Amino acid sequence: MSVAMSESITTNGYTDDLRYEIFNREFMPHIDSMYNFAFRLTMDEDDANDLVQDTYLKAFRFISSFEQGTNAKAWLFRILKNSFINDYRKKSKEPSKVDYQEVETTYNSEEASDTTYTVDLRADAVQELIGDEVANALNALPVDFRTVIILCDIEGFTYEEMAKILDIPIGTVRSRLHRARNLLKEKLKSYASSMGYDS
Amino acid sequence: MNASSHTPSVTEEAQKQTMKHSCEHHAECMKIIQSILDDEATEAEKDHFRENMDKCLPCIEAYRLEKCIKESLSLKLVKKPCPQSIMDTILTKVNS
Repeated sequence: MSVAMSESITTNGYTDDLRYEIFNREFMPHIDSMYNFAFRLTMDEDDANDLVQDTYLKAFRFISSFEQGTNAKAWLFRILKNSFINDYRKKSKEPSKVDYQEVETTYNSEEASDTTYTVDLRADAVQELIGDEVANALNALPVDFRTVIILCDIEGFTYEEMAKILDIPIGTVRSRLHRARNLLKEKLKSYASSMGYDS
Repeated sequence: MNASSHTPSVTEEAQKQTMKHSCEHHAECMKIIQSILDDEATEAEKDHFRENMDKCLPCIEAYRLEKCIKESLSLKLVKKPCPQSIMDTILTKVNS
């Protein structure tokens, strides 16, 4: 790789050499996770490719706002999520998108639904499902609910990290996850039923 | 003949009978179960979990289900590697 030879100090105090070093050492190792996140958000290979590329180029351009020693993966995920909202969501190929705000309002307005809410689904039935079925159930969720499940259960981010990535309070992370999981159970239930796993 | 797959023992049956078959604060318990599985529980939530979870059938079932879903998501979903061409493009553009 050709590394710029200049030792000039950039505005953030990183030398050019350091910028490349941070990029390669801290950012590139997360590229597979970033690609999978992009793919699960856009559900389209070309869009995922573009989104990952855009995110990494932005990350390099704004490397001055990355503090060494902080969580690079969370920082990158935040950029990717913002790029997705600003640039991709509008042209998303997702069919018949459910308006997220609408969904959340519906769930919020029915606090009582939380107390009575149970999906008749057994762990054994979930155990029988294969990866594709679980993935399809996840993909059937509105994107903001899908996102919290990806961040928490697939990528293993803490609630605090998720709050930073999504720019929402931790309490909202908790409640959104709770609702997302209830919705996911409904989807899993219909898969389990259609496969006859729940009889 | 075939009864050995899983016949509950006498003690298991006795235990089940002393267990709660409905949970009056299930919604609250679901939130605690979520926090426990996400490793985000407060000390108070952990205490509540330890003291109550083996006495309440709906909560035990719910815990099993949530755990199973969480594990399915992390273990069963296929993780694709980022295409090499994308990595090459990024590195070329960054270095240009």
